[in-house]
Amino acid sequence: MMRLFLEATIKIAILIGGLMTAAAYLVLLERRVAAWVQDRRGPNRVGIPLTKISLFGLGQPLADGLKFIFKEEYTPAHVDRWLYTLAPLSILAAALATFAVIPFGSVIPPIGEGGPIPLVVAPGVDVGMVYVFALSSMAVYGVILGGWASNNKYSFLGGLRSSAQLIAYEIPLSLGILGVVLASGSLRLDTIIDQQAATGVWNILVQPLGFVVFMIAAFAESARLPFDLPEAEQELIGGYHTEYSGMRLLLYLIAEFLHMVTAAFLIAILFLGGWHLWGLTGSGDEITLFTAVLRIVVLTVKVLATIFFMMMVRWSWPRFRFDQLMSLAWKVMLPLGLVNLVAMAFVVEYRQWFAGTGTWAAVALGWVVLIGSSVGMALLAPLSSDNRPRSASEGAARQQIFS
Amino acid sequence: MIAPLFAADVASQSPSWVASHAQQIQIALGALLAALALWLILPRASQRGRILGGVLGIVSLGLFAAQFPRLGDWLDDSMFVVLATLTVLAAAAAMTFRNPVYCAIWFALALLGTAGLFFFQGAQFLGVATVVVYAGAILVTFLFVLMLANPKGEAYYDRVSWEAWISAPAAAVMVAVLTVSLSQNVAAAPPAPQSQADLDRNILAPQHMAHLGKHLFSEYLIAVEVAGTLLLVGLVGAVAIVAADKELPGRAGATPASFTTDLGESGAGGRHA
Repeated sequence: MMRLFLEATIKIAILIGGLMTAAAYLVLLERRVAAWVQDRRGPNRVGIPLTKISLFGLGQPLADGLKFIFKEEYTPAHVDRWLYTLAPLSILAAALATFAVIPFGSVIPPIGEGGPIPLVVAPGVDVGMVYVFALSSMAVYGVILGGWASNNKYSFLGGLRSSAQLIAYEIPLSLGILGVVLASGSLRLDTIIDQQAATGVWNILVQPLGFVVFMIAAFAESARLPFDLPEAEQELIGGYHTEYSGMRLLLYLIAEFLHMVTAAFLIAILFLGGWHLWGLTGSGDEITLFTAVLRIVVLTVKVLATIFFMMMVRWSWPRFRFDQLMSLAWKVMLPLGLVNLVAMAFVVEYRQWFAGTGTWAAVALGWVVLIGSSVGMALLAPLSSDNRPRSASEGAARQQIFS
Repeated sequence: MIAPLFAADVASQSPSWVASHAQQIQIALGALLAALALWLILPRASQRGRILGGVLGIVSLGLFAAQFPRLGDWLDDSMFVVLATLTVLAAAAAMTFRNPVYCAIWFALALLGTAGLFFFQGAQFLGVATVVVYAGAILVTFLFVLMLANPKGEAYYDRVSWEAWISAPAAAVMVAVLTVSLSQNVAAAPPAPQSQADLDRNILAPQHMAHLGKHLFSEYLIAVEVAGTLLLVGLVGAVAIVAADKELPGRAGATPASFTTDLGESGAGGRHA
């Protein structure tokens, strides 16, 4: 009991320390990537304080943090005081609590008596994936409460947009996950990694369509561009956190980056094999300390690569319009997710055909399904970016509505 | 240990009638106090007596809680007490606040407490399902509607609870009946030391979800199918209502007319945004 408690406490301390630092440095990374994409220099001056040493701007997050701490904690007079304070707290708490079931490595060899120590805060949670869902749906509260409590039209619109968007994209998100769950037969993230490591076949190879659906839905859930309608600066000033400043704004920003980290972890774990890399990390729990560290490094590299990809996407695509966003969720992602689910059910049902060298057949099937359904979807073209009226009567009807 | 509530020997007025019926008296008193407390703390026309109602409510809860045996070691007990207190207080607050948004938030907290209790009992799936379904989906939709509608609730009938004099005694009686039946069951059949195999199979199954799924889709298949059909009917109905309402010519996905005008009227910034 005492040992369990101690283990959990140490893991929580490592995780929260690591996540907070990571969030701070991801801000720096994002700014540097943005500068790189836009052919600027970005923040590169701040280094060690009181000296002239500038370590590529590595001191910038510290300076930003200090700035936020010393800023005035201003509460506008027109806000709903309690909910205004509660909203950023709840979103950060939910974002941090998600990591209770997300493994940040494999296991480390036993210390003292007892078995290998799994590198996840709550190792016994058999509903891991659903737990992640539960907490990501709790994140909506922070956004809509912040938007409502701010008592500001722009904030309110941001909150409403966000709740509609998050609820809509939870469906493709779960459809993308269902394929993985079907393949591995468990909702536990560590079991999902173990299964991929044991067979050596990452889920992205067999179900690339599920990967695409899940990744797009994860982008939308973490409200990153091209899905950042809740806080669209050009339309809503800042969306639900327009009225926030100081530490409370910082809580929102950290929570946003943590959502991105969560999404990256889930993509890496569910589809990119977690800590597994062919010929390097092996599989199973009987490992040396070196392999354990190697696995942590592999997982971290995968997560960072995914985050880097998300940042590149942010500076490469324009934002969706709201009707396009909803059409994408309901008319494109939902059918594609169902197609992927049916294909995976086929593979799992006739798994004797796909054993051994038949794995290549499963992989081929997955890619055929991806290409076929994408082409089919493109031909159907449910997404129309042209919103001009198609006929005179439609134009007149719209004129009536919007005048 | 605990005599039935309406024992036949009430008529035999022995001198120690009060002592021999302490249990029943406690429960009856608890129910009475609970009804009074609920009536006092529910939002009525006047604010008077709310503090008294809160005190009475705590006393009655204490009377009910005294009927239950302790769970075991102090860690279990304190975990349970913390979670249960959180749930009950949040539920009481959800009933008594006047601002519907606050009510929804307190209700969400009550749901989180319930989920915590489920987790505490080892029912992992029920715990997360409570959060996903109720707190994550249904309550967010509630909030959505509440915020789109006039959130302040200026009208008198929005700010008071209706028929408080019926609902408060009804709730009190329900709590009393549940307490009696639960405490009797617990007292009559103290949890037998289950064999480790039973525990492994039923609760501590490492494949908790697979176990649950197997039961759901074999023993309770018809119930699952019926529930699924019901949900599908609801979905089709919603789509039918939306489709019938839509007069806007053009393609699907455009903003329905009613939505836009609603936003404009409620002052949430439809036109100028």
